[in-house]
Amino acid sequence: MALQRSLPADRAARGPRRGVDVRDVLARYGTLIALVLLVVVAAALSPRFLTTVNLMNVLRQTSIVGVLGIGMTFVMLTAGIDLSVGAILAVSAVLLGGTLERTGNIWLALAVAPAAGMVVGLVNGLGVTWGRVQPFVMTLGMLGIARSLAFLYTGGEPIPILDMGFLRLGIGYVAGVPVPSVVFLLLLAAAALVLRYTPFGRYVYAIGSNEEAARLSGINVGLYKILVYVLSGATAAIAAILYGAQFAAAPAIAGEGYELDAIAAVVVGGTSLFGGQGGVIGTFLGALIIGILSNILNLTGVSPFAQPLAKGALIIAAVWIVGRGQRA
Amino acid sequence: MTDDRTAQRLDALIGDYLRGRTSRRRLVAEATRLGGLGLVAAALAPERRRAFAAPNVRSAVVSSAQSDKQPITDMTTPELLAFYDEVLPFRDQLPMEAGEVGGGPIKVGFSQTGFNHPWRVEMIKAAQAEVARHPNVSLVITDGNVDIRKQNNDVDDLLAQGVDAIVMSPVESAGLAPAALKVMAAGKPIVLLDRDVPNEKTLFIGQSNVTMAKGVAEAMVKALNGQGNVVELTGLIGSSPAIDRQKGMQEALAAAPGIKVVANGDAEWIRDPAVKLMDDFLVAHQDINAVFSHAEESSWGAQFSVARANRCAGKILHFTHDGSNAGFQSVKDGLFAADGNYSPFIGDVGVRAALMALQGQEIPNREEYEFEGFLYRLPDLPVVTAENADAWIGKGWGDFAPPENPCG
Repeated sequence: MALQRSLPADRAARGPRRGVDVRDVLARYGTLIALVLLVVVAAALSPRFLTTVNLMNVLRQTSIVGVLGIGMTFVMLTAGIDLSVGAILAVSAVLLGGTLERTGNIWLALAVAPAAGMVVGLVNGLGVTWGRVQPFVMTLGMLGIARSLAFLYTGGEPIPILDMGFLRLGIGYVAGVPVPSVVFLLLLAAAALVLRYTPFGRYVYAIGSNEEAARLSGINVGLYKILVYVLSGATAAIAAILYGAQFAAAPAIAGEGYELDAIAAVVVGGTSLFGGQGGVIGTFLGALIIGILSNILNLTGVSPFAQPLAKGALIIAAVWIVGRGQRA
Repeated sequence: MTDDRTAQRLDALIGDYLRGRTSRRRLVAEATRLGGLGLVAAALAPERRRAFAAPNVRSAVVSSAQSDKQPITDMTTPELLAFYDEVLPFRDQLPMEAGEVGGGPIKVGFSQTGFNHPWRVEMIKAAQAEVARHPNVSLVITDGNVDIRKQNNDVDDLLAQGVDAIVMSPVESAGLAPAALKVMAAGKPIVLLDRDVPNEKTLFIGQSNVTMAKGVAEAMVKALNGQGNVVELTGLIGSSPAIDRQKGMQEALAAAPGIKVVANGDAEWIRDPAVKLMDDFLVAHQDINAVFSHAEESSWGAQFSVARANRCAGKILHFTHDGSNAGFQSVKDGLFAADGNYSPFIGDVGVRAALMALQGQEIPNREEYEFEGFLYRLPDLPVVTAENADAWIGKGWGDFAPPENPCG
């Protein structure tokens, strides 16, 4: 009997009937479980947490970092990283503000911002592929360059955005949901579909899992790597539009440090820093977790000295939980 | 801008300015009075940008020719002299007659933190205005790029150029101590502005963030009749002006037990963190009477949040700091109840102190203090409220437009 019990074939046969595999559940739903737990704790700590106003605030506050996180997820799925998203946000924002100020043409401004973001993303992509500069180094360099361009363009003075038509993007609602959140959710849905159902999406995972294998199976690895950085530039520019519309100004310091928030959302969402694993839905949940934590710390009046500690601990804990499962 | 006559006058103003018939400052003051500052700013956007596109300029010597525009600020000598008389608030501090100083030419070096913020450029402008009053004095200015190493090198360069005295506003206190020591070792006066170094110097000239914030908080206590709930939006956590502004508020509130600070958060001197904090504070507290903010940008952000949360009816008052023209305009518009007046116009006082030291004159009212060398305390400028806003618009820094009051 003892011998029989240890036979692998026997275990495999009994596997499905044994019920829940904790590791598998953690790997698949760890982020979601963490989010639910956090919501329960938050609701217990503050009676105002579950009000519509507050939940809409959280959703709105999450939208900018969430949009950055979408592009960042694609980059990180290829085992890359994009440290320049905050700086691209700034370049796009000041060009948007400058175009609005000079021409008053909203549509032109809405075209200029993504164009700028995609050009910077293209340079990142070319540096990583043709130039063979490591993504960390390439985008770290670009962080400085893009931030500096924003300062040179504005001369250090924030550009005020006074166009009420444009500002409506930031303050308006669609069916009770803030416009920035609607933009975020639409992009999220599109990104999830692309990752799941298009060849491009599958190539992104393939490149991140094993770049050499992807190359040998005929995937144009260089092209798709360039595309993910262009995509990241584009989402940073869309985040810039949301920034300008919400804060009615385009300063050169816009988005400083946002790259780290976006990376945090992606890793808390279960996407691996080594590529090939994860997805944008995880990033959405990760962004919500970080947003809700910051929200409940403010609602309960935790000292600003202690808040970064709580956020840091939560990031490590969330990644640790998900990692338990993935090692199975 | 519905009124045609106002629009015409604004057009004429812009025309005069572009033809050089009126100064930028007068244009701003006039446009602000007419309520068309935003319009003028938009009309002059490319022009204005050129004026501030200074970061490329590494160092430059002020020429004495009357018609020449000065570097960085783009102002001519007559414009600077007019600016001196109309705007500079500290003319009575270490006062000095116009005209030649001593015998022979004097070259003063001005090492600025950086040209990346209008506040810094306005400080340069004040120094240029003082120099414009003395035909035998010239000024060399350097851009520290907000970098300790660069500013240390700048001071070396200034000494190598043979300046007679140096005025410096350091990037960082400890990091520029070696530079100050070098100037002292060369036997030349060094006057520090706004930020001190912890060692020997000729003179440190500063305004107090503590007493300024105390003044703003006292205005708040008065406006709230000593009763109410306040949320505080601080400047970047741990930075010395943020620590001092908080200290000033706490000193004032110690005498007002009816006022309670119900929440505080790090708004980093800027707009977007303030919006988020205020969103959350408004949910957590239904009865906020005032926002005490360390920076105008954060106050504007907080007001956006108030409007979006449909809480305009709560008449939340904003008490803030910075002293920009846009901030003063917001006081006038009723968006801010009070604005602490932390002025960049101290460059002229620094130049005068350097010239006095060169003449061997003792600085009156200087004090000994914790570090070697002497301290000169500038008096607090009045807190700007609805009562004096009109008088101060045009005498603050920057010429950008404030956002419209979303609760207006």
